[in-house]
Amino acid sequence: MGSENVIVIDGQEFFFSAGETILQVAQRNGFDIPTLCYLKGASPTGACRICVVELEGSQNLVASCATPAAPGMVVRTETPRVINSRRTSLEVLLASGQHNCLAQDLSMDSWTDFQVKSMAAKGHDDLCPAYGECRLQDLAVQYQVKTNHFTPADVSYPIEDVNPFIVRDFSRCILCGRCVQACNEIQVNNAISFDYRGSKSKIVTEGDLPLKDSICVFCGECVQACPVGALIPKKDLLLERSSNETRKIRTTCSYCGVGCQLYLHVRNNKVVKVTGVEDVGPNFGSLCVKGRFGYDFINDPERLKIPLIKENGKFREASWDEALNLIAEKLTRIKKESGPDSIMVLSSARITNEENYLAQKFARAVIGTNNIDHCARL
Amino acid sequence: MENLVFSTWGNWKDSPGPAQTDNLPAQFGQGKPLRAFMGWDGMFVRDASVNIVDMTREYAAQAANQSCGHCSPCRECTYRMKEILERICEGQGAEDDLDMLEYMARYVMDSSYCDIGLTSPRPILDAIEHGRDDFLRAIQEKKPIPRGNYVAKVTAPCINACPSHLDIPGYVEKIHLGRWDEALEIIRQDCCLPGTIGRVCVRPCEFNCRRGLMDEPIAIKALKRFAADQELIRGVEPGFSTTETKEDKVAIIGAGPAGLACAYHLGIKGYKTTIFEALPEPGGMAKSGIPDYRLPPDILNYEVSLVEKAGAEIRYGVNVGKDITIEDLTEKGYKAVFVGVGAPEASSMRCEGEDAGYERFMTGIDFLREIAFGRRPIEGKKIAVIGGGNVAMDCVRCALRIGFDDVNLIYRRTEAEMPADPVEIEEAKEEGIKFNFLVQPIKILAENGKVSGLECLKMELGEPDDSGRRRPVPIEGSNFIIECDAMVPAIGQVVVVDRVVPEGTELTRRKTLVVDKITFQSSQPNVFGGGDCITGPATLIGALAAGKNAARFIARYLETGECRPEDTDWMEKTISDLGVYDKEETMPFVGQTRRPRQAALDPSVRIKSFKEVESGFSRADAFKEASRCLRCYRIGLAAV
Ligand SMILES: Cc1cc2nc3c(=O)[nH]c(=O)nc-3n(C[C@H](O)[C@H](O)[C@H](O)COP(=O)(O)OP(=O)(O)OC[C@H]3O[C@@H](n4cnc5c(N)ncnc54)[C@H](O)[C@@H]3O)c2cc1C
Ligand code: SF4
Ligand code: SF4
Ligand code: SF4
Ligand code: FES
Repeated sequence: MGSENVIVIDGQEFFFSAGETILQVAQRNGFDIPTLCYLKGASPTGACRICVVELEGSQNLVASCATPAAPGMVVRTETPRVINSRRTSLEVLLASGQHNCLAQDLSMDSWTDFQVKSMAAKGHDDLCPAYGECRLQDLAVQYQVKTNHFTPADVSYPIEDVNPFIVRDFSRCILCGRCVQACNEIQVNNAISFDYRGSKSKIVTEGDLPLKDSICVFCGECVQACPVGALIPKKDLLLERSSNETRKIRTTCSYCGVGCQLYLHVRNNKVVKVTGVEDVGPNFGSLCVKGRFGYDFINDPERLKIPLIKENGKFREASWDEALNLIAEKLTRIKKESGPDSIMVLSSARITNEENYLAQKFARAVIGTNNIDHCARL
Repeated sequence: MENLVFSTWGNWKDSPGPAQTDNLPAQFGQGKPLRAFMGWDGMFVRDASVNIVDMTREYAAQAANQSCGHCSPCRECTYRMKEILERICEGQGAEDDLDMLEYMARYVMDSSYCDIGLTSPRPILDAIEHGRDDFLRAIQEKKPIPRGNYVAKVTAPCINACPSHLDIPGYVEKIHLGRWDEALEIIRQDCCLPGTIGRVCVRPCEFNCRRGLMDEPIAIKALKRFAADQELIRGVEPGFSTTETKEDKVAIIGAGPAGLACAYHLGIKGYKTTIFEALPEPGGMAKSGIPDYRLPPDILNYEVSLVEKAGAEIRYGVNVGKDITIEDLTEKGYKAVFVGVGAPEASSMRCEGEDAGYERFMTGIDFLREIAFGRRPIEGKKIAVIGGGNVAMDCVRCALRIGFDDVNLIYRRTEAEMPADPVEIEEAKEEGIKFNFLVQPIKILAENGKVSGLECLKMELGEPDDSGRRRPVPIEGSNFIIECDAMVPAIGQVVVVDRVVPEGTELTRRKTLVVDKITFQSSQPNVFGGGDCITGPATLIGALAAGKNAARFIARYLETGECRPEDTDWMEKTISDLGVYDKEETMPFVGQTRRPRQAALDPSVRIKSFKEVESGFSRADAFKEASRCLRCYRIGLAAV
């Protein structure tokens, strides 16, 4: 073997290419190493320690996500020592704040005490809103974690919800740092970072101001990255809990020409949430504030669905045929009376390339003017 | 072995391994015994009356305090361990507390990210193992335990190796987080010339960096430069936190690194200083020795301007000893004086003809100073530079840049023994310098009073000498002549502090000023000294450290009339005695990431001018490099 790029994982040999981490080699070969803080596309931070593995020659366990594979490494991914460490990590994380969900395996009395205490805190009148979509909860179930070793910690920082989009619930933050990676390395907004130290650690903006007073642009990349219920879309909290199923419908964002891929979360024929589609271009999960949070117009009662014609200062409903005929007639008249250059066509970034092409074709070939422009240039 | 109750020191190295019982420090400062010590490699107790439970409480509190909070085990458990120990010491311990402590200690030690988490539980486990009865008694008796007297210190192999003990992992981490200004703030606490040191430091830290045992040491110097450069590039105003202005004024002699550092740190403490400098420009050897292509003058000048902003006034062209004396300064109301006059004179070569006053013969430091002030020191085409250190490297590379066609280095040993920085040697070779090894000059030849050549002997390497390098021995009858029309010996400098200090001040035989190793106070209570003038030619960072520490003790002297080391100073010594970097340590795996290189001008371009050769890291490179740091923080706690 020698200097060849081969490592041994649980007794089997695998090739790796330079720069690959133990985790990448393992996952590529079908090993199930759990991760929590590791964010695809960003550099590993080794913060959560869930992905630890045993490495021959090392006194301590190593984080597989942050350790580059080296020739001759002998790695074990599922030993009792490894399982024990992962379990303890999950336990301490669950006990680190107000994770009031069913993963909290406390005895009956203290469970009730804990819930009552949790729900007394501002914005906590229900179970954690991430319930069922929480990576910590999933892993706690998978690793059959008992949480009664550690008394749950008190709330260290109050909830921050003074903006229309994002609720930051520090009592549920496990300080995995995914939001920081998402903000700094994926979006490159550099709006948030770790601060304070030890058990007082907190994810902060510069000067520890609320998000709205920082350079945050509310793209929500951090919300999408947060594995628990610490960063949640504000609108999620307004949703009544419902047994009706939420369907995810994949579509292309209609706001601009980038063509971001997103999921509309639809319940009772209403869009209740938008998330980015991970792993596909052009956006690989990222969205902007409009794409992620600006979906209310879809269900807005003010939204125009039928053409309107203004007569005597008042709008009346009309059929498409009637409306289009009226427009064609008026354009023809203007062109005849004042010449084609008295007309200008303004198209939009929110329509497709093909539609924009047709718009200029219409301006040049049908109307006969070069007066064609586009809102994205304004 | 004397007075050792027990020791586990070192047993964690290849755990379980043998503990060290010999050569452990026994003294903590003058006349004070070291009663017990807990730290990264275990613990030892010399005085059986030390309450091990209380000491463990204190140690755990330090660990919790040092936990940065980035990884779960250490963040979530060090404070819980501290709380349990506090409970036990308050007489409220519970039966299962010890189990819980051990459980958490093992988990933190097994699973954490950096050495705070990986090493701080070790002595806690040792204490429980060796003092289990004490712990059980404390839990059962339910009586509060009084607090003992302890001194704590955080270090790391790199920090310990740096003469000024910069918090290296601290600023590297800030660079990793993209908080460059905060990184620079950390650097400035111990080094007031970050852009300078970030370019020309001899970087003892990098030779003591644990990452080097895995692949390559962290590029600590280049990262420091990066942080300093970012401030200039982005036009950030550096923030000062000077305290209120104090009455007493301090005189500083020499605007070299030592003097500047002393002025800066006194300034931060609120003291106004006047620096008396013989030359027309500040910087000492950083200005008049180190050439511009290694350290551009605008960088140095900017950093000096910050020292002035911190409260220093520099008076140029004043030669203390000649134009004014220290006694005069005292009379003028300067309550304390700091001597930082460096090692300004060239050592003699002991070679026939060096005192003959030949034209085109000039000592290395004179040669470099002339160039630094923009003059061409000597004419000629073929030059011989004698010496193997960094000054010689600077001379040959400067000679090339001022127009010598044929530049020869003459050194009496081989390349392996050269004290010069390998990077310098490499760059000099790239630039086309000719190296002549195993050659000893014996006579300078001249025609019409002008240098015409050098008579030399060939040498061979013999037995190792005191410095551990093999001694060069002349080969009988091997005389030969190197022709040249200019010559620069660069074989060292000497100190002439006797010209500056009042008569009767204690000096060494080498005319260096004698000062207390910790307080930098000389035999005259109001005179302090630091830098090359107390050590002989040394390093910039050594001079900065001396200036910084002297500032602290000058302030104490002014405020209390006394000047004694503090416990933290003795702790520093204790830790250095124990040793922090273990070059025999086996690392868990072979690292796979190399440090990025700073871009350098092509040799053919750079020899044409004094333009800076290296440019700093890009942001991406700095980020990547910073992420390689292993954060080898270690906590030590002494019971005194
Ligand atoms: C050519 C050369 C290259 C070097 N390169 C490096 C390097 O790359 N890295 C490194 O770490 N170190 C290097 N050094 C060493 C380093 O420069 C010195 O160790 C450091 O400058 C010492 O600082 P200092 O303040 O003690 O003395 P100096 O830097 O010598 O400063 C003393 C100052 O006092 C002034 N002075 C002297 N006498 C009087 C007087 N009587 N009255 C008033 N003022 C006076 C001098 O003019 C000078 O400005 C180099 C040295 C030389 C000579
Ligand atoms: S807010 Fe969420 S993503 Fe950010 S550190 Fe906390 S748990 Fe992790
Ligand atoms: S100090 Fe080290 S071990 Fe402790 S939380 Fe920070 S990274 Fe983890
Ligand atoms: S890896 Fe980092 S903390 Fe460790 S010795 Fe090197 S620079 Fe210092
Ligand atoms: S996933 Fe590797 S440390 Fe968090």
